[in-house]
Amino acid sequence: MSRTSFFHLGVLGFLAAFLLLPLRAEEAEATYTPPAGSAPPVAPPVRKGSPLDHLANDIKLATPTVGYKEGHTSAPEYWVAHRFVDDMGGSGWGWVKKKGDSWGSAKWVALQENPGTATAPYRKLLTHDADNNWEFKFWGSFAPYKAYDPHLDEMVPVFVLEGYEVVGPKDSLTLRAGPSDRVRHKPSGASSRSNRPILTDPGVD
Amino acid sequence: MRPIVLFLALLFGSALAASAQSREEIVLTGGPALRYLEHGKAASHDVYWFNFVDASVIRLKELKDQAKPDDLVTWVVYRAGYASRSRELEMNLLPQIEAKAKQLGVNLVWFDTKEELIRYLNKGLDRDKTKISNFDYFGHSNKACFLFDYSNTVDTMSVTFLHVRDLKKIERDDFASHAQCKSWGCHSGEMYSAWWKSHFDIPMTGAIGKTDFSHGGEPVLSNADGKWTQ
Repeated sequence: MSRTSFFHLGVLGFLAAFLLLPLRAEEAEATYTPPAGSAPPVAPPVRKGSPLDHLANDIKLATPTVGYKEGHTSAPEYWVAHRFVDDMGGSGWGWVKKKGDSWGSAKWVALQENPGTATAPYRKLLTHDADNNWEFKFWGSFAPYKAYDPHLDEMVPVFVLEGYEVVGPKDSLTLRAGPSDRVRHKPSGASSRSNRPILTDPGVD
Repeated sequence: MRPIVLFLALLFGSALAASAQSREEIVLTGGPALRYLEHGKAASHDVYWFNFVDASVIRLKELKDQAKPDDLVTWVVYRAGYASRSRELEMNLLPQIEAKAKQLGVNLVWFDTKEELIRYLNKGLDRDKTKISNFDYFGHSNKACFLFDYSNTVDTMSVTFLHVRDLKKIERDDFASHAQCKSWGCHSGEMYSAWWKSHFDIPMTGAIGKTDFSHGGEPVLSNADGKWTQ
């Protein structure tokens, strides 16, 4: 390409950019109008005997049944778990410690359930807090990842539940709910809502 | 050649070279919650499993219709969320998503982790030659985070997400300088947009308040005082 042609192309490019830039700005300022929506499909009927069917249709209890077992509970090694409903509105389940260790070594955990095998004990209860301050034996392990709680903008260790046994109600522990690095003196500023109860509006969609 | 002519030639030559770059338009789609984990909640999310997918398809079609022949339209989808919802539904959703992508004529990229997503944005294509000129996000979010997984592995929590603190892992020059970016999720305009602008130096439109995907189509603001902002 000759120098003259190159120069002409450059001038054309400049003119094109000059003419088009205002259009881009106008487009950016225009309000987008979404197309009219249509109703989404209806979910298929829940299969009889599926975990969701049991959750939706089984009779709920007021409190856990002492001695009740669910999932894989035959291994000799287990964890001791204390259910506590987070008064900050977080979605953690409670504390878990190794059998024989002190509660000082316990970790605040989020519970990863396995529908069809073992799920949080409160799934069988009338309310999700009806097992507050109850103790359980847990079978399972800690996940290599943590869970992000969008209500409190914090990371929580994850316990993958494989089975449990109900021990019974216990005194409240003298531990602070939440992960060890929870900010206590002021909100983090990043949560989507402040201290919102778990079973109402979680502030995300 | 006089200096001014040389300067103009270099300037306009660079402009021409930049305009010769190809562009990629990206739609990022998060996964749905499990019905088991959302059962019984007053605000129960994702009754319909494709709420984010359907909204994404509408946007992808718009982008495809507007795209120039050399533009690449890419649909980046969080696979793990749809795989897990498939198991719950006892219906494989992944081929359905692949069929939608094929029908639209867009490039489908699956990801299972945040690291895979970031790797695609940074190195999926040669970002010296192909800049991201459009970015839309459809999925769960709070003001600090895109939640690709939400109430799908752990009730009401997320194990795969892109927090505002993760934005620094995405190269600033992945994006074209005039890229159009929008999050259609809840609350992004309350914090995420500002962090996005600060890191990439391009605005991202986000919602003040919640957005509602439940009517089908693209989501709408659901708070009376909600609005879009940058």
